[in-house]
Amino acid sequence: MDGDGIDPAALPRRGPVYRELASAGARFVELRGGAVAESFAADAGTETRAARRLALADLSLLPCLGFRGREAVDWLRRQGVDVGDRNNRAYRQPDGALAARMAPGEALLFGDVADESDLCERLADAASIDEEVEAFPVPWGDGYFRFLVSGKRAADMFAKVCGVDLRTDRFPPLDIARTSMARTSVAVVRDDLGDTPAYHVLGDVASASYLLACLRDAMEEFDGALAGLGAVRRLAGA
Amino acid sequence: MTGVNRLPAPAGSLIDRSRTRTFRFEGRPVDGFAGDTIASALAANDVWVLSRSFKYRRPRGALTMAGQDANALVQLPGRPNVPADVEPVADGLDVRGQNYDGSLMRDRGAWIGRLRRFLPVGFYYKAFYKPRGAWRLWAPLIRRRAGLGRVDAAAPRGRFDKAYLFCDVLAVGGGPAGMSAALAAAEAGAEVILVDENPVLGGALNYARFDAAGAAAARERRRLVDAVAARDGIEAMTDTIANGWFADNFVALIRGNRMFKVRAKEVVLATGAMEQPLVFRNNDLPRVMMGSAAQRLIRLYGVRPGTRAVVATANDDGYGVALDLADAGVRVAAVADLRPEPGGGGMAAAAEARGIRIETGHTVSSAIPGAGGRSVRGAVLSRIEGRGVCRGGETVDCDLVCMSVGYAPAAQLACHDGGRLAMDEGTATFVPRDLPAHGRAAGSVNGTHALDAVLAEGARAGWRAAAALGLDAGAGPAVPEAGGADDRNHDWPLFPHDDGKDFVDFDEDLQVRDILNACADGFDDIELAKRYTTVGMGPSQGRHSALNALRLVHRATGRPLADAAPTTVRPPYAAETFGVLAGRHFEPVRHTPMHHRHLEAGARMMVAGDWLRPSFYGAPHDRERRVLEEVRAVRGGVGMLDVSTLGGIEVRGPDAAEFLDRMYTFTYARQPVGRGRYLMMCDETGVIVDDGVTCRFHERHFYVTTTSSGASSVYREMLWWNAQWRLAVDISDVTGAYAAISLAGPWARKVLDPLTDGIELSLAAFPYMAVRTGRVAGIPARLLRIGFVGELGFELHVPASQGEALWDALMSAGEPCGIRPFGLEAQRVLRLEKGHIIIGQDTDDLTYPAEADMTWAISRKKPFFVGGRANRVHESRPLRRKLVGFAIRDPEAPVPEECHLTLRGNDIAGRVTSVARSEALGCVVGLAYVAPEQAVTGATFPIKVGPRRFLEAEVAPLPFYDPDNRRQEM
Repeated sequence: MDGDGIDPAALPRRGPVYRELASAGARFVELRGGAVAESFAADAGTETRAARRLALADLSLLPCLGFRGREAVDWLRRQGVDVGDRNNRAYRQPDGALAARMAPGEALLFGDVADESDLCERLADAASIDEEVEAFPVPWGDGYFRFLVSGKRAADMFAKVCGVDLRTDRFPPLDIARTSMARTSVAVVRDDLGDTPAYHVLGDVASASYLLACLRDAMEEFDGALAGLGAVRRLAGA
Repeated sequence: MTGVNRLPAPAGSLIDRSRTRTFRFEGRPVDGFAGDTIASALAANDVWVLSRSFKYRRPRGALTMAGQDANALVQLPGRPNVPADVEPVADGLDVRGQNYDGSLMRDRGAWIGRLRRFLPVGFYYKAFYKPRGAWRLWAPLIRRRAGLGRVDAAAPRGRFDKAYLFCDVLAVGGGPAGMSAALAAAEAGAEVILVDENPVLGGALNYARFDAAGAAAARERRRLVDAVAARDGIEAMTDTIANGWFADNFVALIRGNRMFKVRAKEVVLATGAMEQPLVFRNNDLPRVMMGSAAQRLIRLYGVRPGTRAVVATANDDGYGVALDLADAGVRVAAVADLRPEPGGGGMAAAAEARGIRIETGHTVSSAIPGAGGRSVRGAVLSRIEGRGVCRGGETVDCDLVCMSVGYAPAAQLACHDGGRLAMDEGTATFVPRDLPAHGRAAGSVNGTHALDAVLAEGARAGWRAAAALGLDAGAGPAVPEAGGADDRNHDWPLFPHDDGKDFVDFDEDLQVRDILNACADGFDDIELAKRYTTVGMGPSQGRHSALNALRLVHRATGRPLADAAPTTVRPPYAAETFGVLAGRHFEPVRHTPMHHRHLEAGARMMVAGDWLRPSFYGAPHDRERRVLEEVRAVRGGVGMLDVSTLGGIEVRGPDAAEFLDRMYTFTYARQPVGRGRYLMMCDETGVIVDDGVTCRFHERHFYVTTTSSGASSVYREMLWWNAQWRLAVDISDVTGAYAAISLAGPWARKVLDPLTDGIELSLAAFPYMAVRTGRVAGIPARLLRIGFVGELGFELHVPASQGEALWDALMSAGEPCGIRPFGLEAQRVLRLEKGHIIIGQDTDDLTYPAEADMTWAISRKKPFFVGGRANRVHESRPLRRKLVGFAIRDPEAPVPEECHLTLRGNDIAGRVTSVARSEALGCVVGLAYVAPEQAVTGATFPIKVGPRRFLEAEVAPLPFYDPDNRRQEM
């Protein structure tokens, strides 16, 4: 592993594609018991420019938690979460976290890129099977990978692997598409980083390596690159 | 200037005279310009023979200059059958002709043409199938002679891929109609994709002459192209071919090595029309070409197509050809107008004013071949005396014959999704009918040819498409007036010759008499005649033969043409390369969190559904020994198996137990918290479809495991059933969220004990089939005290992100005990020794529980479970087969294979489902279906292991290994 950073295999939580990221020259930092790729390029400016053009960052180790059940949405509201009134739409929380309302009885919460939100931990602690409420936590933080694809060419790249029109004028910020990407089921949530278009791509963690390879292959045409959490935070102004 | 036939600018709108391109044709260097096609560059250098015909090996040259015919197919390195008339030249390109022996110009196989009389259509059906078996001798000889290009299996691989495109309106065809449609739709706010197969927009405006002065086309083209470029909302894609129009406006576009998949809300088909040939003797000679081909050579490539020309026409467009030829310095020896009088559009008058000889009521009845049939040296003009009848003749010297006798719509796309072509006797050609929903046609594909009418029709089609989208499109453009298509198509442009060579289908070398003979042989419908003669089945797919063949068949059978319909048109519109079809194929694969640890340990991975799983650890040549070592490790020490692929489903809610009682055969309402229980699932027909274990962690919470391959289908079934039952339960598939490791062997407890934090592992505290939650190596875990391999075992389910850390911790903790990972092959031996079945391997799509001796897993007390009623019916009937364990005691006997048949007398009783040589048991053991009366312990039955080879197997009680279960419950 990179002598300048930490070894992901030395930590208990390991991202689904940490080897691929390490092979691409990632420098890792510790985050929540795991290692996330902080940067790839030698200088921050290069990586930030790449992220504006087309880049993929692995955010799989950032907090993510699902809730399902007939009363899930109401229960989340009672916990102070804004889950809006539309399905397939994400709602920004005051602390920067997102609450993605996937279906009438399903929501997905994920932490902000600055990792300042404690929403997921708070709700995980609040949920209890002893409560006779039909709102059940689902460990999507482990079940899903979470890639953030950013840049002005992102939609062009997605068109090579996905049949849903994700162009910025057709797929508004915070909209959600549940679709197939390279024949793998994913959820796509648009979540721009400042003025740079960006999309969370979430899917079965067991398919993370496969889809990463597909996306990197599709990105080549547009000179896409891997980006670290640092570049993502810079674009987000976090 | 490159080439003796090159014309000065402004002729040649597509070529860049500042950039020379040198390629080789038949080994000789040829110079062209960037923008030239292979055929245009050759023509500029006075090379007109491009290929040899399919059957008679006749020299052939460009016919359409539009990539629509087989005459222009050439061989490139690694690419056969490339249309030379649209393939751009490139430096260093090595181009060869196709289908000849010796050289293209002097084909040693051309003698076959002299046997033409003895090779009538269908001759090989009649000649080569007797005596019996003769075809096997003839076929290789015939196939060696026939064919086109050659596939080079060693050709370097290209990079092909696919992508999606999105739009509101897809306008197919970048001519005047398509551009007008695109503009009208975009002006209304629609997002439009405009595609054209040519390198520039413009369609016929690029090469055809629409007025006597020859100025209208260029003016109109400039106006439209500029407007398209200036209009937001139009993406123009040139060099792009729309190759298939499928359900719900799913259109496949191909550009270079990429296929684009478009789902358009509205489609405007503006694909134009294809000029049709005149049928006369020697109408296939090089430099007998469509009038539009000559115009393309002149206008697009700056190539003079001849020095002295005869134009055969049946419309004013032919006069436009004559005028263009004259403008290019070609002496037009004559225009033979098949009509009694020329049209009144002014073109004929302009030709006459230029001193061009016009012979009305005449046709070209024959072309006079030059040396070797490689050129034209004259044409015979004959007076038309009736439908397809001409008399007399005057030979006119010429080296070029142009044909402008009519059009057929390029409407193939419309037929891919339910549209059809119908014969319109008024216009003497096909017209598209019953277009797909949200599709409309405009321009010459619709039979509209006059430029003003084409523009109006295109604009209206675009407006209608926008209106259909719900856009505020305003008042629509005026309905176009009748487009003047009435006299463009001659109703009988066929003048058969007694000596033949009057080709109807150039691809297949079919002459008029071939079609007529097919009818005489009883193939009196176009669909039958097509299959007998192969008319329309060549590379150009009937583009130039369908109309004339249909005319001939209907005339020969005495049926009116009004009833005629062409043969079925199927996608693709143009030939596709295998690369485009195969390019960028996604094959998802799933990895467990420990995947890389397996690779690092030398695992041989195998595909198991979507997953990759370790088969065994070690070199392939060492497989048997490695599998045996892994089995020994589990039986004698401790091993660990990655079982993350097992499905994991959370079932939570007040009705969770009731839900499981309905879904599975056992009963779960009284399953204690902290206990696991076997699960078996049947479908509604009572067939076993899955099994697993359920762990009750709370009164309202069950964690259900499924087979690896069954996870998604079980989850789907659960959702489907509960959509009807509406029980208060939530079902979540968390397969990927958990990594799971099976730790098995007599030392399993010893390995696990130091890693657990606060979980008592003793038999008393944590008995067989108990489940616990806690921490293992600091990782939150679900612990299941279950066993599939017949030894003391624990299944540890932990968050996926920490699966690899758990694996590492167990490997470290187990090192003193000699722990080793084992793969699926060892697991299958171990579980077989224990007599456990694998759903899908030991069962099939008909196996119900009684057959598999699994009725012990059915609760008889609950009122309902899926498949319960069917099972009661099954059980009320006699068994027809039964799954039994068997042993083969003979140590010298070979090991049968799975699916070897079991017999009862001479009848098939069943098959072997699992089998292995067991070191622990000292014999071969397996599972097999046998007849019910054979399913008695100690009875024997034969297994057929080869032709007349049988093994004697003995029915043995299950489990084979540790029948008292002391080892797994220790």
